[in-house]
Amino acid sequence: MNPTVSTGRLAWPVLAVVVLLAALAPLIVEDFFLNVILTKALWLGVAAASLIFLAAYGGMVSLAQVGLYGVAGMTYANLVLADGGSAAAWNPWLALIGALVVATLVGLGFGWIAARSEGIYFLMITLAFSVLVFYFFSQVTTLSGFGGVNNVQLPGLLGSPEEDPLPRYFVTLVVAVGVFLLLSGLSRTAFGLGLQGVRDEPARMRALGFDVTLHRTLAFGIAAFIAGVAGVLSVWYNRRITPGSINLAQTIDILIIAVIGGLYRLEGAWVGALAYALIDNYSREWVPEVGSVLGPARFNTLIGVVFLVIVLLSPGGIVGIWDGVRASLRERRPSIRGGGASVEGT
Amino acid sequence: MLKGHRSWALVGVVAALALVGAGCGDDEEDSGGGGTSSSEESSGGGTIKIGFLSDCEGAFGSFFEPTISGANTALIKFAGAKPAGEKPSDGVTGAKIAGKDVEIVSYGCADDTADKAIEETRRLMEQEDADVMIGPLSGDEGIAVANYAKEHPDQTFVNGIAGAQDATLKVQAPNFFRFHPDGAQWSAGLGDYAYNDLGWKTAAIIGDDYSFPYTSLSGFVAEFCAIGGNVSKRIWAPLGEEDYSSYISQIPDNVDGLYVGIGGAGLINFVKQYQEQKGRVDTERMLGNVFWDDPLVLKEVGKSLVGGATAAMTAADSDEPAVKTYLKDLEDAYGKEIAGLGPSVFTYGYYTGMTALIKGLEAVNGDVSDQKKLQEALAGVTLSGEEAPWGDVKLDDNRQAISDVYVKKIVKDANGDGVPDVQTFRRIPEVDQTFNGVFSPDTPAPDRTNPKCVKGEPPPWVGNAEEVDFSSK
Repeated sequence: MNPTVSTGRLAWPVLAVVVLLAALAPLIVEDFFLNVILTKALWLGVAAASLIFLAAYGGMVSLAQVGLYGVAGMTYANLVLADGGSAAAWNPWLALIGALVVATLVGLGFGWIAARSEGIYFLMITLAFSVLVFYFFSQVTTLSGFGGVNNVQLPGLLGSPEEDPLPRYFVTLVVAVGVFLLLSGLSRTAFGLGLQGVRDEPARMRALGFDVTLHRTLAFGIAAFIAGVAGVLSVWYNRRITPGSINLAQTIDILIIAVIGGLYRLEGAWVGALAYALIDNYSREWVPEVGSVLGPARFNTLIGVVFLVIVLLSPGGIVGIWDGVRASLRERRPSIRGGGASVEGT
Repeated sequence: MLKGHRSWALVGVVAALALVGAGCGDDEEDSGGGGTSSSEESSGGGTIKIGFLSDCEGAFGSFFEPTISGANTALIKFAGAKPAGEKPSDGVTGAKIAGKDVEIVSYGCADDTADKAIEETRRLMEQEDADVMIGPLSGDEGIAVANYAKEHPDQTFVNGIAGAQDATLKVQAPNFFRFHPDGAQWSAGLGDYAYNDLGWKTAAIIGDDYSFPYTSLSGFVAEFCAIGGNVSKRIWAPLGEEDYSSYISQIPDNVDGLYVGIGGAGLINFVKQYQEQKGRVDTERMLGNVFWDDPLVLKEVGKSLVGGATAAMTAADSDEPAVKTYLKDLEDAYGKEIAGLGPSVFTYGYYTGMTALIKGLEAVNGDVSDQKKLQEALAGVTLSGEEAPWGDVKLDDNRQAISDVYVKKIVKDANGDGVPDVQTFRRIPEVDQTFNGVFSPDTPAPDRTNPKCVKGEPPPWVGNAEEVDFSSK
């Protein structure tokens, strides 16, 4: 499936309904589901959205997003009061800003290097970056503490999530919606359209006078900012961060989420994250025992199979399945297209 | 129109997804509720729900079944349970404590990262509604679960076999209990042995670069330096390293000995490469931590390690009747292969943890409604005899075990299976976590440079070790 240039309007009614459903979710589901499935899916979705933004509009499949959110998460955890790390005891909001600034700067600097490469080389260089961040924090124990940074202080707004998870859920929801609006809005600006031009025809764009490397670097910086947001949200969610939270397995998980959801559509980030969180949690009880091949302990096998099936059947992910269904519906009922044209004409 | 059509179609799909999500939540609620009511009917007095947490993925994934076998065997022995299948993870049936039914709500599986351990803890405690939990397995996980415990004072946690010192010494959650020695305690007796028996004055240490080896090697440093020894070089290799040659070449020649704290598959590579680089493994000037007499390590490279000494809280060759009973109980329940891992600290830690939990629950008549009482009871629990076949266990004020540790030597194969044997020669009585004040809540946690090598008052067991010989009897 080839990515398309986004010029269409945002599907506001869809967004409204989804947000409404998400806002009403606490009435229906219990605290555990709210925490472990919905809140987690929302912040994982933000992380995956930063990857999808780069992949869909910039043609850059980046494995650096976990490294970048690790930088933000570790920065935040070190700046506020916590057990382990440097525990600088800043105001949490100030620490949030500090973490985002650091992640964005690191992202810009790294993007400046990575933006010169493409395809598999881009993939490798970004993977190397994530591995580098992981080893940096594993080795520099003054920053990552002994056994990670624990009991990280949260902003007062979030209250005490252990007693009442609602404030944290709503904050995460608002941030996720904000990220979605920002990224989809950005893709429709001159910058976003230029980025999509760079994705499809870098040589022509260069001939038109665009600074292709700068364009890609800036896109990388924006994605780093979003990844930074995800990093801070992850620390708010886990209340801790360890080098293990940002290891290679997590890097792959974020890629899997993006691919399962749909690598070419921003919505895919959250669809994939929700699917992932559901499988991650419930497969530990539901999966039947099939010899030593499959069983509740084989959660990774199941995710791997889902990943394979998605890649083979619908390269556009779950969202792509819907696109496919819609396309075949349209072919079967050409009258709709005629109706559409007339309405657009009026 | 096309755009409009597209949006409404999307509305449908997302709404459907959201409903699926909500539906899952409801299902879970239903099944959870159903489980509780049916068991309540059968016992009349409510069910004690235990959550179990170990690792089935990651570096320690292969210890999943052995850890379960330890916990289950305690339930079989002290709570009248029966194995529900051939594999330990098939569960147990018919367990009763103080007349109440006991149910293991789920065998939780983490992957040695703190995040996954906490997610599984949440699933066990919040989704499966467990009253108490036993676990986790690995260092960083233990610190995270102890912190989780601190935030949930109305629930009770008994550690599985996570050995990082901080979990009890620093976190000090009043509802987190560890009924086995930590990683530093497992090294007790080796500093004394090196200085006074082997005559080492200076030593180097080498280990994996993460929390457990820091703790494990710190026990040696604390004891060896307190007596008067000097640790002149500390070498750390990244966990999962395969090529140790550059680290082996960093080992100085002008030291009397080397303490090796490399674990698992890394140790096998280390020994092979050491042999290639230096001709032979000079075990007469080498000590190893808890991994050295691991059955797998002995099988692969044991012949090269003959002559080396190591220490831990179990002794495979012990002839104590209680040890024999423990191994027989394991074998009766799960067969020879699993029972062969009985002396592994992984199986044994979960066994003593579950045994202590059962004793604590018995002391409060199985009442888990007010867990303050259960926590008070657990703090006073001591284990002896068949409850803790390798030596009595009691807790200190941080709810950390004070227990015996054994110093062992790897010797040539005597029983004809081609794998070198372990010969225990010393029992270090009542090892406590503080090493006579070297470790306290205020001292820096063990890391690459801590604890500092300082001469001081040696821990109380130095000079009080008891020579043992299981082979002569």
